[in-house]
Parts: sequence; C-alpha cells; structure tokens
Amino acid sequence: MDATDLSLNVNIGGIQMRNPVMTASGTFGYGSEYVNFVDLNQLGAVVVKGVTSVPWPGNPMQRIMETPSGMLNAIGLQNVGVDGFISEKLPYLRDFDVPVIVNVCGKTVEEYLIVTEKLNSADGVAGIELNISCPNLDCGGMSFGVDATLAHELVTEVRAKTHLPILVKLSPNVTDITLIARAVEDAGANALSAINTLLGMAINAETRKPELANVTGGLSGPAIKPVALRLVWEVYKSVSIPIVGMGGIMTATDAVEFFIAGSSAVAVGTANFVNPQASMEVVKGLHAYLKEADIGSIKELVGSLQVDPPTIA
Amino acid sequence: MRSNCSLNTYDTRTTILSNEEVAEAHYLLRCECAEIAQHARPGQFIHVMISQGPGMLLRRPFTIYTVEGDEITMLYQIIGAGTEQLSEMPTGAPLHVLGPLGNTFNLTTNPEPAILVGGGAGIASLMLLAVVLREKDIQTLGLVGAQHRARLLSVSDLESIGIAVHIATDDGSIGHHGYVTEILTDLLRETQWHRPTIYACGPHGMLAAVTEIATDFQVPTQIAMENRMGCAMGVCLGCVCPVRIDTDRFEYQRVCTEGPVFNATDIAWDVF
Ligand SMILES: Cc1cc2nc3c(=O)[nH]c(=O)nc-3n(C[C@H](O)[C@H](O)[C@H](O)COP(=O)(O)OP(=O)(O)OC[C@H]3O[C@@H](n4cnc5c(N)ncnc54)[C@H](O)[C@@H]3O)c2cc1C
Ligand SMILES: Cc1cc2nc3c(=O)[nH]c(=O)nc-3n(C[C@H](O)[C@H](O)[C@H](O)COP(=O)(O)O)c2cc1C
Ligand code: FES
Repeated sequence: MDATDLSLNVNIGGIQMRNPVMTASGTFGYGSEYVNFVDLNQLGAVVVKGVTSVPWPGNPMQRIMETPSGMLNAIGLQNVGVDGFISEKLPYLRDFDVPVIVNVCGKTVEEYLIVTEKLNSADGVAGIELNISCPNLDCGGMSFGVDATLAHELVTEVRAKTHLPILVKLSPNVTDITLIARAVEDAGANALSAINTLLGMAINAETRKPELANVTGGLSGPAIKPVALRLVWEVYKSVSIPIVGMGGIMTATDAVEFFIAGSSAVAVGTANFVNPQASMEVVKGLHAYLKEADIGSIKELVGSLQVDPPTIA
Repeated sequence: MRSNCSLNTYDTRTTILSNEEVAEAHYLLRCECAEIAQHARPGQFIHVMISQGPGMLLRRPFTIYTVEGDEITMLYQIIGAGTEQLSEMPTGAPLHVLGPLGNTFNLTTNPEPAILVGGGAGIASLMLLAVVLREKDIQTLGLVGAQHRARLLSVSDLESIGIAVHIATDDGSIGHHGYVTEILTDLLRETQWHRPTIYACGPHGMLAAVTEIATDFQVPTQIAMENRMGCAMGVCLGCVCPVRIDTDRFEYQRVCTEGPVFNATDIAWDVF
C-alpha cells in the first residue's frame, strides 16, 4: 500500500485515522496479543477491552457458546481496572503510531467519571468509547443504553470532565435506537459506535440448562450483521456525528456494506477470533475495492445506499 | 504457570495429508505445519478452522499429538458437528491451523517414575510429553482409560517408546474393569516411590478424582484442562477456569493462555 495514499483517511469525532478500520472492544485484548498477525501501525485505531474503576473478576463459566453463524458471550467485563490498564497495558501501545481508544464501563455514573478522569491524565489515549450497552451486567452497563434520559445524563457528566473525543457505544436491545443516538449526540458525544451485542440465550435440550452460567449473553458474529446494518442505517438518518459500524464484519465486502449504510468507520470484532488477520485483510480489501470502483475517497461511500423510489401502481 | 508469549504462534494454511479412523469414533489427522512443528512443546495445542462456510463460526482446539519433521498429528474424538465434519474431510482438503498455543508441562527432574493418566481422547495431550520424558530417559508409566476395547487409544504408540501401559475400561472389555483412577490409587498404595510425578488429561470428573488422589498421596500433579474456546489467543476471556490464589480466594484464568496445563491442586474444584 502506498503510504501517501489518502483515500482511506478519516476523522472520527476528532480522532485522525490513516484508515477507517478499527478493532472492536473485547475482541482484541489490549493490543499486544495479536502483534504476530496484525501490524498495529496499519490499523485505523485500536479499541481496547472495557475498563472499569476497579478490577472486575468476571462471570462464572461457561462464558461462551457457539451458535449458528455466531457466538454468545457473557464474560462479565473481567478486566484489570483503569489503574492496571494505565500502568501495565498502555505503555506497550504507546510504542505504536496508532490512536488508542479506551472502552469505558461502570455500574454507576461515578464509576464512569473515575475512569474518565484517570484516562484524561494518561499519556497515549486518543479517545474514549463509553460502553453503555454491555448486556452481561446486573446493573449499570446496558441500563444506561436503553434509556434516553439516563444516557443523556451520563454523557453530559462525562463531557463535563474530559476534552478527549467521546464515542458512545449503542445497544441494539432497544425499541428505537434513534432516540438514544439523538440523546447522546445532544449531550456532546463526538461519534457513535453501533452496535454492541444482541441479547440472546442458548439452551441444552438434554439437560434443560442454559449453555451460559449467566443464562443470557450477547450475540455477535455474522448472525447479527443484517440487524447491525439496519440499525446503522437508522442511526445515520437521525444524527450528524460519525458512526463506527460493527456487527459480524468478516471481510472487506461486509465493511463496504456498513459504509454504504452510513458508517464512517468500521470495527472488526468476533472475526479476529476466527482469523487473526481479519482486520488487516479488511484494510487491504477496502483499498482494492476503492481502486477497482475508481472511488477517490472512502467518504464518498458513506450513506450512499441507493434506495429506489417507490413505484406507483 | 505463565505461557511463553504468542510470538512463536503461526496461522498455517495447509492441507490434510491423512485423516484415518484409528479407534471407534477416533481419528488421527496428519498435516504439514513446519513452524508449528518446530516450536511445539508438550501440552501445547492448535486451533483449527474446520469450515469456512456459513453456520460453523469458531475454530476447534486440539492438542498436538506428535511431531515428525515438518509434520504434526492430532488425535481426536467425534463429539459434535465440528469433529464430525472434520472426520469426513479427505486427504488434500485445506485446513487453517493456528499454533502452537498455550503453556507446557513442566518436566520432572525426579528419577522416580512419571505417571501419565489419560482418559478417553485425553491421552492425546500426553503423547508429546511421553516422547520427551523418554528422550530424557525418565521412567514413565502409562495408565490409559477408555469406555470399551474398541475405543482404546495410544497403547501401541506408548509401548513403542518403552512405556509400560496399564489399561482400564468402563465395561471391562479389556484391562481393569473400572476407572483408570482406581489403577492409579492401587499403584500409589502398593509401591514405595518417594516422589513420582503425575501428568493427567481427560474428562472433568477424572481430573477431579486424580486431584483428590494426588492430594491424599501428596504427589505433585499437572493436568491439562479443556474448555470451550473463542480466540485461543487470550483476548476473549471465554475459556477461563477458577484457580486458587490463596486458601479462600480464586481468580479466573484463561485455559488457552495461563493453561492448558495447571497444577492440579491450584484448580478451585469446588467452584465449578
Ligand atoms: C486445549 C484443548 C485441547 C484439546 N485437545 C483435544 C484432542 O487432542 N483430542 C480431542 O478429541 N479433543 C480435544 N479437545 C476437545 C475438542 O476441542 C472438542 O471435542 C471439540 O471442540 C468438539 O467440537 P465439535 O464441534 O465436534 O463439538 P460440539 O459439541 O458441536 O461443539 C460446540 C462448541 O463447543 C466446543 N466444545 C465442545 N466440547 C468441547 C471440549 N471438550 N473442549 C473444548 N471445547 C469444546 C466446540 O469447540 C464448539 O465451540 C481439546 C480441547 C481443548 C480446550
Ligand atoms: C468476547 C466479547 C467481548 C466483548 N467485550 C466488549 C467490551 O468489553 N466492551 C464493548 O463495548 N463491547 C464488547 N464486545 C462487543 C464487540 O465490541 C462488538 O460490538 C460486537 O461483538 C459486535 O461485533 P462483531 O459481530 O464483529 O463481534 C465484546 C464482544 C465479544 C464477542
Ligand atoms: S479462548 Fe479466548 S481467551 Fe482463551
């Protein structure tokens, strides 16, 4: 790839990226795990696993289950906590020329604020992604993401505490995603990530037991792509801030579909588990697509869905 | 036990050289994976992409059974859709193999016997170890358990490198009628070894029983754990098992990264 080629450059809510391909939180660890397969300097951004104010132990096992074209997970946000992240994980990422976006989660507004303030003073954080959509927690997490008033309050409070770009990660587990999207845009979010996992469950017919200890979990992978595309399209029509689209992206063609639906960038999630080089292949494939279709910039694709006008009988 | 980092991990696109039924519902698959073969150590595993079509998404983890030159083998049991499909794949079929993954067995330095305890396909996890122990001229005993005679695995492979094998089957169709752990108890009771080492892999219940025996006889024991896996690279945190950090606390550690090999007595068995 030609380094001076600007066709893939994007700016997501103030974060300048060499290309629009990011990693989805929770599917790429803290960046170091995949260095053998992914040149971090070739990614648009690295989004790390959700961090909380104190370390969380996570949910009991079983935590994952494969389902047709997808997987359920109920990890319960096992993580080292924000202090552990800053002292043990962040220094490694500073050696790379790639924006680092930190996924932030909490059970209360205060917990989100504690993490945000600590990240403010940490060197090497390009932005934060507020996870208001984790389906695997008893309280907090997703409850902020399914209530427009709570979501507005949370983002307003975090906005008051930081100059870092704020992405807000939306939950698909709502009746009308545009209400939440508009609420957090109004509260000062710089960009939106859509979508987090879809709440689901799997049952063992022999034992009559749930396959996950948490009973329910979040569905990800190709199974959710049609839902994700629809939600990105709906959000795109209702806000003016950029959208990072995700949900079942395995290939560059999948990514192209997300741009057409209205994403300005994409994130590769579950695909990393199946193919450690998936994110790199999406970058290369996007390049090839633009070249082939003779498109000067990826931005031309964003929201370019061609909907035929209704025919009158 | 910390694993060596993922720097020596490769995603090899290869083809099946052979894939043969070696016992009822059990297959031995051979493929060329030069880098994996070069770096594989006892206890490590590979993460195999069986299908790239729609439907089956995740890879499947299997222990590296043997290494010969640039080739590796895996010995697997048909459990469900993935292994069923794998068993039908012919010579020449493409395969994506990620590995070697996970930590390794710590080799005993004691002159006294190493006792390998394998239940079902679990014996597959002990074969590379057996080879290395014999190369170091460490006296090694094999205790192999199976449901019945037709499902017995690896006995001749172990015997061919000079390991005496004791057999147990659930139905008594060959060897001891009962569990392989009963042979283990008898052996430890009857012999006056000062400090043998136990290495075990098999079903959950067998490993829990081995741990009890090891505790009773105070024998250091390493076990290879299994769990559902997503990434096998340490990022999804889907494969954890509970590990004691002191007498009344445990933490969830990744079978793919901190494991699959654990000290038996470190596992918080009461938490499962
Ligand atoms: C580190 C490790 C090494 C292993 N080595 C061997 C080996 O050498 N030989 C062998 O026969 N088996 C081995 N297994 C077990 C093997 O991975 C499973 O039997 C296999 O994944 C079953 O897949 P399936 O699609 O046929 O079964 P299904 O039950 O249809 O699979 C559904 C899902 O559950 C998972 N799963 C089911 N059983 C297990 C299990 N016991 N362990 C982990 N995941 C499971 C599958 O990977 C899949 O994601 C190993 C497991 C681990 C974790
Ligand atoms: C194992 C696993 C862990 C995840 N952890 C997080 C997390 O910590 N924070 C978050 O915002 N999203 C998390 N997600 C959601 C993903 O970032 C992504 O939104 C979702 O999986 C959809 O994309 P995909 O289908 O490409 O995986 C996780 C997903 C998986 C599969
Ligand atoms: S399988 Fe993903 S962390 Fe072990």
